[in-house]
Amino acid sequence: MGVLVVLLDRALDRALDRATEMNETLLQNVWWIPFYGLLGAIVTLPWSIGLIRRTGPRPAAYLNILMTVLAFIHGLVLFRATLVWQEPQQVLIHWLSVADLDLTFALNVSPVSVGAMELVTGLSLLAQVFAIGYMEKDWALARFFALMGFFEGAMSGLAISDSLFLTYGLLEILTLSTYLLVGFWYAQPLVVTAARDAFLTKRVGDVLLLMGVVALGTMAGSLNFPDLYNWAETANLSPLTSTLLGLALIAGPVGKCAQFPLHLWLDEAMEGPNPASILRNSVVVACGAYVLIKLQPILILSPVASIALLTLGTMTAIGASLVALAQIDLKRALSHSTSAYLGLVFMATGLQWTGFALLLLFAHAISKALLFMALGGIISTTNSQNMTEMGGLWSRMPATTGSFLIGGAGLVGILPLGGFWAMRLGLDDFWSQPWLVAVLLLVNGLTALNLTRVFRLVFLGQPQPKTRRAPEVAWPMAVPMVSLIITTLLVPLMLAWLNLLPDWEYMNKPALGLLILSGLTGCVLGSSLTLKRTWSRPMQISLRFLQDLLAYDFYIDRLYRVSVVFAVSSISRLVAWFDRHIVDGFVNLVGLASLFSGESLKYSISGQSQAYVLTILVGLSLLGMIITWSMW
Amino acid sequence: MLSSLIWTPILGAVLIAFWPGLSASRSRWVAIGVTVAALIWSLLLGSQFDVSSVSLQFLEDLPWIESLGLSYQLSLDGISLPLIVLNALLTAIALWSSDSDIQRPRFYYSLLLLLNAGVAGAFLAQNLLLFFLFYELELVPLYFLIAIWGGARRGYAATKFLIYTAVSGVLILAAFLGLTWLSGSSDFIYNPLASQALSLGQQFILLGMLLVGFGIKIPLFPFHTWLPDAHVEASTPVSVLLAGVLLKLGAYGLLKFGLGLFPDAWAVLAPGLAAWAVVSVLYGSFTAIAQKDMKKMVAYSSIGHMGYVLLACAAATPLSILGTVFQMISHGLISALLFLLVGVVYKKTGTRDLDLLSGLLNPERGMPVIGSLMVLGVMASAGIPGMVGFISEFLIFRGSFPVFPTQTLLSMVGTGLTAVYFLLMVNRVFFGRLSKQAEDLPPVVWNDRLPSVVLASLIVAFGLQPSWLTYWTETTTTALLPHPAAAVVGTVQLSPHESVTLSSPLVSPRLPIPNPIEEN
Repeated sequence: MGVLVVLLDRALDRALDRATEMNETLLQNVWWIPFYGLLGAIVTLPWSIGLIRRTGPRPAAYLNILMTVLAFIHGLVLFRATLVWQEPQQVLIHWLSVADLDLTFALNVSPVSVGAMELVTGLSLLAQVFAIGYMEKDWALARFFALMGFFEGAMSGLAISDSLFLTYGLLEILTLSTYLLVGFWYAQPLVVTAARDAFLTKRVGDVLLLMGVVALGTMAGSLNFPDLYNWAETANLSPLTSTLLGLALIAGPVGKCAQFPLHLWLDEAMEGPNPASILRNSVVVACGAYVLIKLQPILILSPVASIALLTLGTMTAIGASLVALAQIDLKRALSHSTSAYLGLVFMATGLQWTGFALLLLFAHAISKALLFMALGGIISTTNSQNMTEMGGLWSRMPATTGSFLIGGAGLVGILPLGGFWAMRLGLDDFWSQPWLVAVLLLVNGLTALNLTRVFRLVFLGQPQPKTRRAPEVAWPMAVPMVSLIITTLLVPLMLAWLNLLPDWEYMNKPALGLLILSGLTGCVLGSSLTLKRTWSRPMQISLRFLQDLLAYDFYIDRLYRVSVVFAVSSISRLVAWFDRHIVDGFVNLVGLASLFSGESLKYSISGQSQAYVLTILVGLSLLGMIITWSMW
Repeated sequence: MLSSLIWTPILGAVLIAFWPGLSASRSRWVAIGVTVAALIWSLLLGSQFDVSSVSLQFLEDLPWIESLGLSYQLSLDGISLPLIVLNALLTAIALWSSDSDIQRPRFYYSLLLLLNAGVAGAFLAQNLLLFFLFYELELVPLYFLIAIWGGARRGYAATKFLIYTAVSGVLILAAFLGLTWLSGSSDFIYNPLASQALSLGQQFILLGMLLVGFGIKIPLFPFHTWLPDAHVEASTPVSVLLAGVLLKLGAYGLLKFGLGLFPDAWAVLAPGLAAWAVVSVLYGSFTAIAQKDMKKMVAYSSIGHMGYVLLACAAATPLSILGTVFQMISHGLISALLFLLVGVVYKKTGTRDLDLLSGLLNPERGMPVIGSLMVLGVMASAGIPGMVGFISEFLIFRGSFPVFPTQTLLSMVGTGLTAVYFLLMVNRVFFGRLSKQAEDLPPVVWNDRLPSVVLASLIVAFGLQPSWLTYWTETTTTALLPHPAAAVVGTVQLSPHESVTLSSPLVSPRLPIPNPIEEN
C-alpha cells in the first residue's frame, strides 16, 4: 500500500514538473478554447449553406460536438493548472495600435474565469448532444450547430476576457447569435417578432454600453480591466459624469440578463429551439451578470448606478417571480424565474457582494440547464408547450421527471444543493438589511411555489390526450440529462472541494431556518392550490384581472408599444414626410420656378423694339437709382 | 506609374467604344480585364508604398497649362491608396454584376471605365485644378449611366444628380480659385499652408463653399435629396459605384481640402460641423426607418453613415481622422454589398417593396445564401464586432469623444437606429413565409453570389484585422493634422493617464509637411 502511495506521489510530481514546463505553452494557447467553437461553426459551413447534401447534416453536428469536446478537455487541463498556479495569470494579445489608441486584449486566466469557461463549454457540450436528439428531424441541423458553436465561442471568450473592449465585442456577438438562434425557425410569425425584439432590446443596452466604453476608454486611457480598476481607485469625476457612466455601463448587462426594463425579450425568445434555450437560460444570461461583476469595481464610482442595480434587481426579482406564476407555457414559466434569479444577482452586485453573485450564477446555471433539458424532453415527446394540456407524465417519463425534480431542488433553497448554499451565502451577506432578506426569501418561496405548480400540472394528475402516449426520451437526450442530474447532485461536493462551504459552527442558523421555511411554504402552497384545468381562466373579475396582469407581464409590452415604439415610428414617419415634401419639395419648387420663369419669359419676346427699349430704360433707371442711392 | 491607373481605363474605354465589331461579351471581358489589371497594379503600388513617409510618393509632375497654373501632378498618399484600391475593386465588381445582355453594351462598359478613370484621377490629383477636372469628368459618365440604363424616373433622377453635382463642382472651383488668387499663389498646387495668407473671414467664405460643395457629394442633410432618387433609378452596378466610391470623393475632399487647406477656419467651425453631423446622422437614420423600398432604405442609411465622417473630421484628432478613412472604406464595402444583394433580390423577384416580399430565406424556393449574406451585411452596417463597420465606427467615436462628447454620444444613437431599420428590412423580406410575389423565382447562380461573397469576406477580414488597413493610412492621417493636439488638450484634464499619452509628438505644433516640389 505504502509503495503504491509513493509511486502515485512520484507520478504526480513528475506530472506537475511537466505541467510547469507546459505552463507557458498552456497560457499562450488559452485563446484556442473559445476558438474551437468558432472553428466548429466555420467547418460546418459547407453543410449549412447546402454545398454538401449527400451526407445529410449529421457530420456537421458531430464535428461541432468534437470541437466542443476538445474545448472542454483543453479547458480541463488548463483549470487544473490554474489551481496549481494560484495566482491569476494575464495573457496579452496585441490587436490594433493606432494613434493614441492601443487595443490590446488582456485575457485573465484564473480558477474563476477558467471555471466559468468550463461551465460554458460543459453545458454547451451537453446541450449539443441533447440537440442531436431534440433536433433530429430538423432540416437545418447543420446551421443550428454552427450557431451553437458560434454561441459557445463567444461565451467562452467572455469568460476569460479581461478587456472591456473585447467583452463588449463578444457581448455584441452574443446579441447577434441570440438573434440568429431565436430566429432559427424564421418562417413562423411569432419567431420573427421574437428574434427582432431580442435583438433590438439587447441592442438598446449594447449601444448604451458602447457609450460607456467609449467614455471610459477616453477617460481611463486603457480598456483592460486591471488598468480600469487602478484608474477607478483614483478617478475624480463629477457626479453627473460618474452617474451617466455608471448607468451606461449597467445598461448592457441589464439587456443581456433580461432585467426590467429590458426584460421582455427572454420570454419571447422561448419561441426558439430548446437546446439553445438551455444555454440561454443558464449561461448566456450569466454572461451578462459576469460582465456586471467584472465592472463592479468601476461602478463603485457611481452611487446612483449601485442604487439602480439594487432597484432594478429587486423589481425584476419580485415582478418576474410573480409573472412566472401566471404562465401556462412551459418554457415561459421557467424563463421568468431566470429573470428573477438574475435580479438577485443584480441586487448582490449593487451591494458589492460579488461572491454571492458568482455562486448564485453557478448554481442557477447548472440547475436551470437541467430544468430546461427536462422541458425539452417533455416538449419533444408531447409536441406541446401548454401545461394545461399535460398531466400524469411521471410514470411515463421517469428520467425527465427526475431531471425536473432535481433541477428544481437545485434551484431553490430547501435541500442542501447548489441553490441552497448560494442563498445561504446571500442571507449571510444581506443579514443586516431585513428587507433584502425578505426579498430573497420571497423569491425563494415564489420559485418553489411555481416549480411545484408546474410539476403538478405536468407530471401529476390524470394523463390527457397529449400525454397519454408519452415514451421516455431517446438516449441522445437522456444521456445529457442524467449527466446533468449527477452534476447537480455533485455541486455541494464541488463547493466543498473549492472550500466555499462554511463550517457548521459558523453558520447563521436562523437564516438557514428561514430559508428552508420559505422554500417549504412555497412547496406547500403550490401543492395545496386548486389547479383545475377549467380554472385556467378564472370567472371572478378580480382574479381574472390579476391573472391577465401577470400573464401579460404587467402589460409592459403594450406600454412600450404606445411609448418607445410609437415615438420612434412617428418620428421616422415625420422626418420622412419632411424629407419628401419640405426638403425635396423645396428643391423641386426651385426647379419648377426656374422652368416656369423661363417658359413665361419667352412670351415677352414680342419682336417689338419699343418694348425692348422700354425694358432697357426701366432697367437702367433702376440701376442708376441703386447706385446713387446714398446721394438722395 | 500612377498615370496608368487613369489612362489604362480611358484607353480601354476608347477601345471598347470604337474598335470595329467588338461583341458584347468581348467588350465585357476587356472591361473586366482592364479593371482587374488596374486593381493588381494598385495593389503592386501598395506593396511599393513607403508607409513611414509623408512625402508625395510616386510623384508625377508634368507642366500642362502653366499660364493657368494647371499642372499634371499626381501622387499617392496613405488616404488615397486604399481608396484607389477600393475604386478598382468595386468597378470590377460592378462590371461583373452587370447584366451580360445589357442594352448598348459597348457604350455602357466604356462609360464605366471612364467613371473609374475619373475617380482614380480625382484621388490622385495634387493640383487643385486637376482635381476639379477629374471631379467633373466623373460626373458625365455617371449622368449617362443613370439616364440611359436607369429605372422609370431615370430622367428626373439623372438631371437632379447632374444639377446638384454641377453646383457642387462650381462651388469647389470657386473656392479653389479664391484660395489661389487671394493667397497670391501662381499655381494650383496643393499646399496646406496656402490659407495662412488669408484673413479668417476669407477662409470662412471659402471653406463654407467647400463644405456645401462636398456636403452635396457626401451627401449631408439638407443637400442629400439627389441621392435616394439617383440610387432608386440607377441600376445595381451603378448604385454600387455611386455608394461605394463616388460618395467617398466628397468625404475625401472634405478631409483633404476642407480640413487640409483651411485648418484655422476649420477649428473655429468644428463645433457647428459636429452638430451638423449629428443632424445628418439622425436624419438619415430616421428617414430610413420609414422607407418601403429596400434600395431607398440603404440609400438613406448611407446619409446616416457618411455623417460619421463629418463628425470625425470635425473632431480632427489623429484617431478620428484615421477613423474617417476607415469609415470610407468600411462604408464603401458594406454599402456596395448591400446594394448588390438588393440588386439580386430585385433581379429575381422584380420588386424591392418591403410590403410585397417575405420569406426569401426559404431554403428550397427562396435565396438562402443571399439572405445570409444580407444578414451579414446589415449586421456589419449596424456595427456588430468582427466586421469592418464596428471598428471604423469605434475609431470615430473614440477619436471624437474627447473633443465633442455630446455630439458623439448623439451620433451613437445612429448605430442603434441602423439596427432598427435594417432589422425591419431583414425580418420583413427574408424571414416569415415566402410571399406570393416571391414564388417561382429564377434560381440564384454562383455568378450572382460571387461578388457579394468577395465583399463579405473583405468585410470580415478587415473587421478581424483592422491593422491591415490602418498600416497604410496612419502616417498620412497624422501628418494631415496641423495642430492635432490643440483641440484635444482642452479635455485632457479628464484624466491623468491621457495627458501622459498625449504629451508625445502629437502636441508639437504644426508638423512641417515636406514638399518635394519646393525642394527641387
